Amino acid sequence: MKRIAFGSCLVAAAALVALAGCGGGEQAATLTIWQTYNEAENKVFKEIVGQFEEAHPGVTVDVVRLPFAGAEPKILTALTTRTEPDIARVDVAFLSKLAMKNALLDLEPYVSQDVRDEIVPVALASCIYDGKLWGLPDQTNGLCLFYNRDLFRKAGLDPDRAPATWDELVAYGKRLTDEDEGIFGVGVRNSLWWSLPFFYTYGAEFLSEDGKTCLLNQPAGVEAFQFKVDLYEKHSIEGGAWRAGGIQNDLGFQNGRYAMILNGPWAVETLKETGIDFGVGLVPAGPAGTHTNVGGNDLVVFRSTSSPELAAEFLTFVASEETQRMWALRLGQIPVNVKANDVINSEEHPYLAVFVEQMKSAIPRPQTPYYPEIENLMNPEMQAALDDTKTVQQALDAAVAEINELLAK
Amino acid sequence: MEPRAAARIRRTLLYVGLTAAAIVVLFPFFWMVVTAFKQPGQAFSPEIFPSSPTLQNFRRVLTDYGFARYFVNSVIVATTAALFATLFASLAGYVFAKKRFTGRDKLFALLLASLMIPGMMYVVPQFAIINRLGWMNTYQAMIVPHLANVFGLFLMRQYMMTIPSELLEAAKIDGAGEWQVFRTIMVPLSVPIIATLFLLTFQFHWNNFLWQLIVTNLERLYTVPVGLAMFKSAHEELYTLKMAGSCISVLPIALIFFFAQRYFIEGMTMGALKG
Repeated sequence: MKRIAFGSCLVAAAALVALAGCGGGEQAATLTIWQTYNEAENKVFKEIVGQFEEAHPGVTVDVVRLPFAGAEPKILTALTTRTEPDIARVDVAFLSKLAMKNALLDLEPYVSQDVRDEIVPVALASCIYDGKLWGLPDQTNGLCLFYNRDLFRKAGLDPDRAPATWDELVAYGKRLTDEDEGIFGVGVRNSLWWSLPFFYTYGAEFLSEDGKTCLLNQPAGVEAFQFKVDLYEKHSIEGGAWRAGGIQNDLGFQNGRYAMILNGPWAVETLKETGIDFGVGLVPAGPAGTHTNVGGNDLVVFRSTSSPELAAEFLTFVASEETQRMWALRLGQIPVNVKANDVINSEEHPYLAVFVEQMKSAIPRPQTPYYPEIENLMNPEMQAALDDTKTVQQALDAAVAEINELLAK
Repeated sequence: MEPRAAARIRRTLLYVGLTAAAIVVLFPFFWMVVTAFKQPGQAFSPEIFPSSPTLQNFRRVLTDYGFARYFVNSVIVATTAALFATLFASLAGYVFAKKRFTGRDKLFALLLASLMIPGMMYVVPQFAIINRLGWMNTYQAMIVPHLANVFGLFLMRQYMMTIPSELLEAAKIDGAGEWQVFRTIMVPLSVPIIATLFLLTFQFHWNNFLWQLIVTNLERLYTVPVGLAMFKSAHEELYTLKMAGSCISVLPIALIFFFAQRYFIEGMTMGALKG
């Protein structure tokens, strides 16, 4: 009896080894991807995955869709037990944190220069930390000026022309503001990310080259933020959207309370649904021209992956011209591949075309794993400046001192 | 003034006050329901009743977003977990309240001290254990780690201590065994607190987001809170769908509370009298 049992065990073991051998073959492999796309993006992404599988017989791509809000803690927890996936879609700010924790695969050897040259430069910049490439972008975006064409008409302004400069925005704002009706020229959000277009258009720099010093309290930065404060305090054309309890700027724009706001391409579809007659223009130019900051998402490969080449190939496939063409066309988003930019022509995608144009002068966010902490230090001080409890110089000096202390660590 | 008239005025004032408070408390729920029937673009329109109400949000939530499945998962997880957590807490509470053994009070103090550790601290070690057991993507991973509930033990012990020991002794003299004493004396006398604890643990598991997300990599195992979080992506939030999902989500809690409220309120007042 015992012998037979032992014998059958051997057979079973041999079969297992044989099976495992098959699994480790050249072609067969499984890639696991954790992603945070919304419903519409998820559908297109599944098609992209299907195409990739078709082009790579024997390869299975296992896609797990996560809620955006829980993805970071889930990834960080998984890393503690080495149960992370091969690939994940992460926010640009999270990439540098993962790279710093040494969790990611350095893609230097896997992604050719030709591939890199095709990627929108600011989007590619979001994948570089410490001089190395840690991912490829799958989505990129920036901010533009949204304006309410109905309110423009009522104020006797040309509904087809957004203000080209900040001075013009102030002039427009004064004509649009009607405090008795509760209508204001602009609504601004108070957070560092949403203030960056102000800083950049005034030529302010965020961090020094070595990433150790924050430069936002330099004269250009002070001037930029003073302008933002003046919109509310001096010119009285801002409706207090930044205040706790104030009407938030998206909401105020949707309800016709704020005539102009900064917002991203993701707002286009939502606004179309509300039936508002709106237009999109470039960020009004300051002394340094028109610039937006950059947001978006990147695909990264974890260094624990057993198929680094295949994973890198998937990233390249997503960022390729064909895939980006389909992505941009189906979802109305900015392509990350410059060769696919012509999909967004101004006839069919009047709003998005402005964003594509804006991205050309976009300024990438400095790659620091401490970006969320910098926001947390900066925002209350900015609030103090808007509240007039501190001067702009005092507020920025205080924030920068704390930020520099953090960066020096 | 006549005492009767004074009492009437007092009562009227009380009702006015309570009604006002009820409106304040219920308005967010009302707004949730109203928003769930609005067209997507009208989520923030300030109208009280939607001008063109639609069932589309509920339909999409149940079909496109698989909420039916999430709902079943949540029911399985929350019911099982609440049932067993309550059972274990009442057994342990009985022992700590009525039995004497060496180190009982020290052990109890130690357990209470563990309540001071923030719940988040357990996530990583518990996850490591679940992973080692090979329980990823299973219901037991969502249920088992939360069955030992010190807060529940504390609640049961405090309540059971107020039940006179003479009752237990009388039962023993009449020949009742340990299990019989527990079943026929302790449980019936503790129904209010058992119902309360069941409701509290059910609610905890029903709302638990992070843990359920961390131990599952399969969409078909996601629970309602994870499903609700899906309506918020990087930049936009689908408010009307989220509100429809929330309507479905509050249903079981509201139902349980409705049926258990007699015990629930009784439990609170009894605790107040004897505590």
